[in-house]
Amino acid sequence: MNKKTIEALQILSISLIWLLFTGIAVWIVSLIRESLRLHDAPDASVGISIVAIPVFFTLAAILTYVFIGLRKGRKEETEP
Amino acid sequence: MERVSASPHPDAALLRPIENPGRSFYYIVGALLIIISYTGFVYIRQLWFGLGVTGMAQPVTWGFYIINFVFFIGISHAGTLISAILRLSKAEWRRPITRMAEVITAIVLAIGGLHPIIDLGRPDRMLHLFYNGRLQSPLLWDVASITAYFTASTIYLYIPMIPDIAILRDRGVKPRWLYEFLSWGWQGTERQHKVLDRAMNILMVMVIPIAVSVHTIISYIFAMTVQPGWHSTIFGPYFVVGAIFSGIAAILVLMIVFRKVFRLEGYLKHIHFNYLSILLLIMSIIWFYFTFSEYLTGFYGHEPNEMRVFWYKFAGDFAPYFWAMIALNFALPVAILCNRKTRTIPGILIASISVIIGMWLERLIIVVPSLANPRLPYPTGIYIPSHTEWMLFIGGISVFILGYMIFARFFPVISIWEIEEGRQESAKIVTERINSYMPDPEPSAAGE
Amino acid sequence: MKWGMVIDLQKCTGCGECAAACKLENNVAIVEAKESEMGRTMLWMDMLTIYEGEYPRLRVRQIPRPCMHCDHPPCTKVCPVRATYINEEGIVAQIYPQCIGCRYCMAACPYTVKSFNWYKPEWPPGMDRATNPDVSVRPVGVVEKCTFCVHRLQMAKEQAKFEARDLREGDFQPACADSCPTGAIVFGDLENATHQVNRLAHSPRATKLLEDLGTEPKVIYLKEVD
Repeated sequence: MNKKTIEALQILSISLIWLLFTGIAVWIVSLIRESLRLHDAPDASVGISIVAIPVFFTLAAILTYVFIGLRKGRKEETEP
Repeated sequence: MERVSASPHPDAALLRPIENPGRSFYYIVGALLIIISYTGFVYIRQLWFGLGVTGMAQPVTWGFYIINFVFFIGISHAGTLISAILRLSKAEWRRPITRMAEVITAIVLAIGGLHPIIDLGRPDRMLHLFYNGRLQSPLLWDVASITAYFTASTIYLYIPMIPDIAILRDRGVKPRWLYEFLSWGWQGTERQHKVLDRAMNILMVMVIPIAVSVHTIISYIFAMTVQPGWHSTIFGPYFVVGAIFSGIAAILVLMIVFRKVFRLEGYLKHIHFNYLSILLLIMSIIWFYFTFSEYLTGFYGHEPNEMRVFWYKFAGDFAPYFWAMIALNFALPVAILCNRKTRTIPGILIASISVIIGMWLERLIIVVPSLANPRLPYPTGIYIPSHTEWMLFIGGISVFILGYMIFARFFPVISIWEIEEGRQESAKIVTERINSYMPDPEPSAAGE
Repeated sequence: MKWGMVIDLQKCTGCGECAAACKLENNVAIVEAKESEMGRTMLWMDMLTIYEGEYPRLRVRQIPRPCMHCDHPPCTKVCPVRATYINEEGIVAQIYPQCIGCRYCMAACPYTVKSFNWYKPEWPPGMDRATNPDVSVRPVGVVEKCTFCVHRLQMAKEQAKFEARDLREGDFQPACADSCPTGAIVFGDLENATHQVNRLAHSPRATKLLEDLGTEPKVIYLKEVD
């Protein structure tokens, strides 16, 4: 496999991870909305779920940061 | 077999399992696949006929699947303790251990996370959890927290692996595309090291509260009901302590196995085992303290339903399992590990295996007795696990072993770059650190 | 409207007619002997055996135990998919197509009233044609329990609507109350002062099972007089 394909796959995999985590966040938000509508969940669980969403996005952000950081930190191949 | 890079590497022993796996690897994988296939067949049988093929009934409606769920997820705390806490506390002896521990966490979380699905009466309706989940249910908190922990620990496993994957890529190990794909263009430049360090620093702090929350929330499955023996406030910390305890035992067993199989005596030295086994000893004593508190408060309160469950564990049908648990979790490990003469590798192996069995018994003792002794006057429940449940237990363990073997086939189980970093920088870092602890020198007399 | 039940233990003879009627009315599966010995008998209305005193002054009696339909149900709190919930009329209902069979509600119920379909329900030959067409037959892998014969409530409501009137006291009776030969089981609206249950619920003999747990069951037992 040549370099371009591999790079494309890497970017695809990171995008899929963002998609997955966004899906998880949407799910948690829908859980919160349902419990507010039926109003039978202890408020603590609503609060904790709200904390859970940034956790997932932070993880995805760290992964993206590492990916971009590693690409940027590469020795340039065309350096004189 | 094609010889890959012939250049010798200072850590050749760590690369050997990847570059020259040997025939026995394939035999063992074959045997495991046979076991796992049979387990798959047994599970399909359960899907076809229903949960009636298990030994569960009223009132003991939860059995092996929930016990193993808690057990496997408990072992996952190996990764967090060793990796995150030792990295955080800058303990240099962690270097050969972190990768092994993190892999345990990732694999065992996947297996443990599947167990509630095996336990469902209608797994085909699993998506209801996502369409109509109810936030007030502890089971749902569990789904969210285990997902968070699994993703966090997988990322925490992967990011420190990048430099090692780059080593394999540069040595031309097959399959080349895999290592190219996963190494993300790592070249070891200073900027890249900075990025990696920063990411690892954030992750090792993040992973700890997530891990603590996972096992606390699992304990809430039991503690949030009003059943005697379950409705206890100590369950959160108790489960976390038990998880760390069983996690350390698991990693010790794995270290001993890999040391033998991969001939890693040069990397996993007596001091590593010494330190970890002292940690195991401390956790054993802490576990005993929590267990003692739990039962003493129950006994002292003398609430009738609580006492029925208590006596059922202490002197009734479950007494053999209960006392075996105390012996295996506390008496035996403390006896072996307290004494330096017995704190040898065989001794540590016995103590760790004893703890793993003891902790499994602890999960059994938490789940079944409270269910077997309902509050209303029913006959006491009996639970005899069926062939299906035993096979799924053995299958789960086989999947773990297989997963680990496949990992060890493609990636080094000891972090090569961290060992190299240790060789070059540890002494300097530690000397600087210790110098900073020392009191400042007295101002010289000439200055007065 | 809050549906509730009063069981007069003075009148109850422990005959078990209520348990049988409930099984027939609600298409509750009959399990094989081997399964039943394991503890998989499905009884929505169960007979509790209570031993009092010691030999020679030993008394054994059987009292009926339906689902308590608690006002603060521990089972609904733990269901992850809302397959069990309490509706506005106080009935703790089960949604069979929603249940994923995790059995958490079974573990959480302090009265152990819920049953599980361990296998696909089957009836002995001939009996499968005697099932009640008004009640759905549950599939394998779902939890079920006494519903206060809510299908009869549906039919009574429809009948009342058709006749353009309110529900009367006798319109809706679960199968157990209907079948009890001594009239020990009385059913009705606990909030309606004209219903008999309301009066009996305030009797000085009234007691509830496991009252101290705070579940607020809506099945009230009247203690025996002697």
